[in-house]
Amino acid sequence: MRLWLKKFFLRNGIVLSLYMLLVTFIWIVVMFVLPQIFMFDFSFRFNWTQIDPSKIGSPEDIYTLQHYKFLLFGSPNNPDPLNIVDVTVFGRTILAAIFVTLFDVILCYPVAYYLAHVAKGSITRLMMLSLVVPFWINELLRAFAFRILFGEEGTINNILLFLGVLNQPIDFVRENIALYTGLGYAYILLMIFPIYNAVESLDRNQIEAARDLGSPWWRIHWRVVIPFAKPGITSGCTMVFMLSAGALALPQIIGGPSSLWFTQIIYQWFNTGSNWPRGSAYAVSLMVICVILVLLIMKIFKVKFGEIGR
Amino acid sequence: MSSAKFLRLVTSSYIILFFAYLFGPLIVMSITAFNSAAFPRLSPWDCFSTEWFGVLVNDARMMGGFKNSLIIGISVVFVSVPMGLAGALMLGQLSNRVRPVFYTVTISTILVPGVVLGISTLIFWDRMGMMFNAGYDSIFYDGIVLTIIGQSTFISAYTMLVFISRLQRFDPVLEEAALDLGATNIQTFRKILLPFLKPAIGSAAVLAFLASFENYNTTVFTIVSESTLTTVLASKVRYGINPSISALAVIIIGLTITAALIHEVLKRREQAREIALKKEGQVGNVKTLSRTAFRKPVTLMVLLIFVAGLSTVWMARAYDVNQCKIEVSEEKRKKQEELSKKRLLEMQKRLESQEAASANGSDSKSSKTAPGTDQYGSIFAPTNLEGQVESTEDQKENSKTPKNQYQNIFAPTNLEGQVESIEEKTEASKTPKNQYQNIFAPVNLEGQVKSEKE
Amino acid sequence: MSADVTLENITVKFDDFTAVNNTDITIKGGEFFSFLGPSGCGKTTLLRVISGFQEPSQGRVLIGGNDMTGIGPNKRPTALIFQNLALFPLMTVWENIAFSLEVKGVSKTKCRKRAEELLELVAMPGQGDKMVNELSGGQRQRVAVARALAAEPEVLLLDEPLSALDLKLRQHMRTELREIQQRAGITFIYITHDQGEALTMSDRVAVMREGVIEQVEEGTKVYDKPVTAFVASFVGENNAFHGTVSNILAAKIVVSTDSGVLEASPAEGSSLKVGDKAIVFARPEAMSFVKRRNLVKNVINTEVVHQEFEGHFWHLILQGVNGLKIKMSQINDGTTEVFEEGKKIKVQIDPKLAVVLPSGPLAAE
Repeated sequence: MRLWLKKFFLRNGIVLSLYMLLVTFIWIVVMFVLPQIFMFDFSFRFNWTQIDPSKIGSPEDIYTLQHYKFLLFGSPNNPDPLNIVDVTVFGRTILAAIFVTLFDVILCYPVAYYLAHVAKGSITRLMMLSLVVPFWINELLRAFAFRILFGEEGTINNILLFLGVLNQPIDFVRENIALYTGLGYAYILLMIFPIYNAVESLDRNQIEAARDLGSPWWRIHWRVVIPFAKPGITSGCTMVFMLSAGALALPQIIGGPSSLWFTQIIYQWFNTGSNWPRGSAYAVSLMVICVILVLLIMKIFKVKFGEIGR
Repeated sequence: MSSAKFLRLVTSSYIILFFAYLFGPLIVMSITAFNSAAFPRLSPWDCFSTEWFGVLVNDARMMGGFKNSLIIGISVVFVSVPMGLAGALMLGQLSNRVRPVFYTVTISTILVPGVVLGISTLIFWDRMGMMFNAGYDSIFYDGIVLTIIGQSTFISAYTMLVFISRLQRFDPVLEEAALDLGATNIQTFRKILLPFLKPAIGSAAVLAFLASFENYNTTVFTIVSESTLTTVLASKVRYGINPSISALAVIIIGLTITAALIHEVLKRREQAREIALKKEGQVGNVKTLSRTAFRKPVTLMVLLIFVAGLSTVWMARAYDVNQCKIEVSEEKRKKQEELSKKRLLEMQKRLESQEAASANGSDSKSSKTAPGTDQYGSIFAPTNLEGQVESTEDQKENSKTPKNQYQNIFAPTNLEGQVESIEEKTEASKTPKNQYQNIFAPVNLEGQVKSEKE
Repeated sequence: MSADVTLENITVKFDDFTAVNNTDITIKGGEFFSFLGPSGCGKTTLLRVISGFQEPSQGRVLIGGNDMTGIGPNKRPTALIFQNLALFPLMTVWENIAFSLEVKGVSKTKCRKRAEELLELVAMPGQGDKMVNELSGGQRQRVAVARALAAEPEVLLLDEPLSALDLKLRQHMRTELREIQQRAGITFIYITHDQGEALTMSDRVAVMREGVIEQVEEGTKVYDKPVTAFVASFVGENNAFHGTVSNILAAKIVVSTDSGVLEASPAEGSSLKVGDKAIVFARPEAMSFVKRRNLVKNVINTEVVHQEFEGHFWHLILQGVNGLKIKMSQINDGTTEVFEEGKKIKVQIDPKLAVVLPSGPLAAE
């Protein structure tokens, strides 16, 4: 370590070394790691800020598991064995995020492949650009757009009614169709680019060779392209999964009224509930479960973390 | 042969469908900005109008939020670009053992849910503020500062990725050459590395600004009592929507496309230069070639946008919006009168049936068949079975801790919650920031009907 | 202007790997000095030690008598020409050349003037406004030299700068570099794996193997009087006959090999004793056809495998006892004979031109 520092300073000079060390320290430690640790710590504390702020730091300010217990079992007078609402919402959020991820893989893989090996030159560039643009439109505006589309008097219902496919408008919002399509839409880019990057580096000759050997197109994909693109697919899945499980704006705006997203509960503890420690405990739980799931998937597919990122 | 053709047909139609999915929502939204109807919709089409842009500009909250978003976005650029650069440079100098760890940590700032980042930032600086005994007007509690910090945490990782990919093409020998020629480290950085990174700095800045501008998940926690465009939008969209938001979308989509195009052009130029660097002696040719090749689609797009803008203005002048509006509203009033009669009847029926349903504790799925009085009614309508079951349990607890979340979620929309709705409303008026109450309570027509009754 | 460079007990270790081992050498001021060795022999590491990019694990570097320990590359009176030249792609030719002046704060007009002077020195007058990528390979080479000279170094270090050029240009640049060195009058330290380059340009050559210098001498000595088996096999082509010393005469050593008993000259300061394992090295040009029937000394029986014609030389690839490959070269005097494959011939080795060295590792083919 000392040797490394010596080399580092020798190589970069004092000013640049200090800049690099200090700035990365502030970023990684002060802005990221410490806040996470504080949040973790906070999730084990009583909600003193609301009850009695003077007790903070007093002997009574001890660690407690009450918030985690609450997430699992609800309030002490809850007759049920579990905190049904929160646990169901939690489970449903995770499942829905998985569903959205799968939806995106299936949707994006053909497009990524098309971009990498079928489309040519300037068309590829144009398509890439078209992919990027919706991604940078405000998330809320995208949600709004989906609300216009999927509302009960929305464009889709109007069209279907007009065509006579339906005689009653479908409540897409309540059925969460709006939410899932919206979430799937939001993270398309994060799925396409990693897959594209992976597929693109595949030697075309391999595909040609497989084709020469008489493989049908689906077999080529299954046996040649997909195994090759695995790191990219996993990388994309990780991002989409984490981001959709952690989404807040879309569920707030186009989520069905009967199915909350877990982040919404966290949000409520912070805003309306004014119970920050509990909100932290919920946030920590969400993160831990998500990370475990992601690591598990990586392990199963034997992909290293370093391969994530565009 | 025919199967290959068929396959190609399927592929291209899939691609077309995909892009329709990608752009459809944005196009529909953009069009609704020009419909004079008070609700953003494509059909029925009332009148072509640009009045919603005016509404947007005169919306003080939106403009305030927009200003804050600009301030935050620009600050985030200035924070996250040097941070990402430092991270990328650092990564290149770490030993093989430490590098993957460092990379993992930096990338996790992107993967950690934005909500979690926001919360942790909020808590950390709150604690810091307490430690330093800072007042609530100090920077530890300044929503804008906190938001800049919170957003920069993960946006720096974005910029870092941009720098990494650029640095991969950097020949470190150039740095050594400069040092060898007597340049100091700082001179080497300024004269060799920075010029090389210039295009990446541009991309990173654009990326950082856009990411900041569109961020909601982190911002909604760190912004505290201030507001940004996204938080204003969020509350607006939840309270009730009107086409001024579509108008905003039109503007933002336009700006984004422009930014993307500029970015693309710059990138192209950079690439052309790089190709030229490899092919010695052919600089001139390569540059002009690739430029003209790219110019076609870009100029075409720019032209299209321009023409669209012009024609809009022209059309707006060509006919009288007000005249059209009067006609349409006249027509509507007649329809509305008939409808409202019908609706009143239905509503009464529904109320009765619901009361009956809740009395014997059965589910209220029947209410689904009843058409909502307006769109929002149906969103927030009390059709949730769980809600009803839960609320009975929760009510006991509610009375003890009135801030309990369940009240806010389920109570006002719930028939059983009626008893409490008066209580609720007084509280709502005290704490206007309480968004959930506002969502569910006042917008809900049923709620209004009930309160009239009461 | 020119300075001595002294390396004192330089050792460089990377973890467990020793790149340079206990090297001691003095390069005289104004000398054209080459380090010659196969890739991975530590010559580039040595160059980086001299230029200051690599701190030695042990020992010190003196330039002009000053200890360079702890002095960064930008403070040393050295300039390095990199293997890939490392011209700054975003600068024009003159900006490249004047970079060392610019960072010292010299005014722009003075920079420009000096750059033009140097361009003249390297025979590229008036080309200062071109971009680097508009230049040909040879021109880049010259710009790199000019840029290095602009820093007014006392020692110029060159790391295989000609390796990217094609053969003709490379040969041309050799003479040119030598001329520039003589005009500039400074110490050149040249790194290469190409013995032709080392031999044509250098005053002295150091042959390196696995971090150790095996021989330091003038080019002709290194070629004609190698002191180790490695040097003999690495510098130029050589036929090696392994065997055991059977007798030591006044100016000759007799070695019995598989190919027969061979006589050859000992190396300078040879310490070979009877019974030692030794190698007789005979260059292709030291072989000749046996003309007199009765001659029996230093004759080996071979079979023709292949014949090559190379203009001023022609070569025979022969197969000796136990499949030993032997190469023989003859000056083309216009009477080139054609040998059929498989023809059995006898070849004689000139004992004065052949050298006996203690057994040791040879250069990889």
